[in-house]
Amino acid sequence: MKQKSVEEIVLEIKDKSELMVDLAYSSLLYDNKNIAKEVYDLEDLVDVLYQTLQKKTLEKLSNKKLSVTDSLALLRLASAGEQIADAAQEIADVELRDVELHPILKISIRESDQVFTRVKVKPNSILCDKTLGELKLASETGMMVIAMRHGDKWLYGPNKRTKIDADDTLFAKGPEDGEKHLISLANGDSNEL
Amino acid sequence: MKEKKRRSVFGILQRTPKEKWKKEEFSEIEYEPTSVKELLTEMKDISELVIDLAYSAVMFDNEDIAEEVKYLDVRMDKLNYDIRMTAMMAARTKEDAEQLAGILQVAEAAETISNTADDIVKLLTREKTGPILPKILKKADEQLFRVNVSKESNACNKKIGNLKIESETGMRIIAIRRGDLWIYNPNSETEIKSEDWLITRGTDDGYKELREFLHGKLEVLD
Repeated sequence: MKQKSVEEIVLEIKDKSELMVDLAYSSLLYDNKNIAKEVYDLEDLVDVLYQTLQKKTLEKLSNKKLSVTDSLALLRLASAGEQIADAAQEIADVELRDVELHPILKISIRESDQVFTRVKVKPNSILCDKTLGELKLASETGMMVIAMRHGDKWLYGPNKRTKIDADDTLFAKGPEDGEKHLISLANGDSNEL
Repeated sequence: MKEKKRRSVFGILQRTPKEKWKKEEFSEIEYEPTSVKELLTEMKDISELVIDLAYSAVMFDNEDIAEEVKYLDVRMDKLNYDIRMTAMMAARTKEDAEQLAGILQVAEAAETISNTADDIVKLLTREKTGPILPKILKKADEQLFRVNVSKESNACNKKIGNLKIESETGMRIIAIRRGDLWIYNPNSETEIKSEDWLITRGTDDGYKELREFLHGKLEVLD
């Protein structure tokens, strides 16, 4: 496995923790335990990343490749990401409990400035068999895909190379007018990108 | 009881006297009856905004943005206090209490996130961590950018919703700075003015297109 640099690890912790917050809120919105469980798995991953980072940073410090100030800065920033990841897990925990969610949770998340949306891709949609990179969905519709369901498999935090197939379910966040655009694309009602 | 209408901090111009967060922090907490829904919606919105603002304060080495983070964090404390009070008064049965406990847990997590944002800006204001963090943050796929609006741009005096900035460029405007004033999470009705500074989030490609447009080098976004 390719060795990751400390910088890459810090960024990965930051990205993953932000993804976790999105997923945690959307698990409540859709009352979806699968998404909530994924937040738990990502929490474990972030813990591992943070431990790896601590070790590597100290190694670099003792080899005099990093200064004390820089090492501390890296660890502090990563520790913030780790705390955000913990908070996301707390949110997901509410979904995983055997208590019916209070309807206000759903309404509050729905009413917030950024909407989360869930949409199934129809076979006649222009999105089929294209990668997210080709489609430039984020810059064309303003909607960022944060998770996808393909059959009974889930994919979280898809990247540019992720391909969309017919019948995939996309979970995305963005502004309200972007939501309409994405839904009409996925339904095959619009081919305009 | 005197009725005070709570105003959300979003989408409106905020007057920012120096260190206004301190004023809020040391003012006595007074419970204002508000619906749990309103409180939680605002807490969720702050939790998302404040992280972006905190990273952008570090990235642009900007203490003004750091001040806003402190202000939002103090506000979050107050919202968390209010939501606890409101939830406790709303519980009548064990089932109520169980469901409301879930709401309070989400609220608490939102507050933790905002405290963390405050920790992030302390790296800048207290620890003076220097150039290493901006250097790293600039390598992320999705980044924070700061861009000013020139008076030649067709964006001036137009509503964000009509310009469709987010759906055309994928760039989300998380805050606008206008002189001493701030607008957090501007909405589709918010007008862009010349000389505004926008803090936006998105990809490099999206940023380049938006910058051309806001600098008046591009007539329309499409």
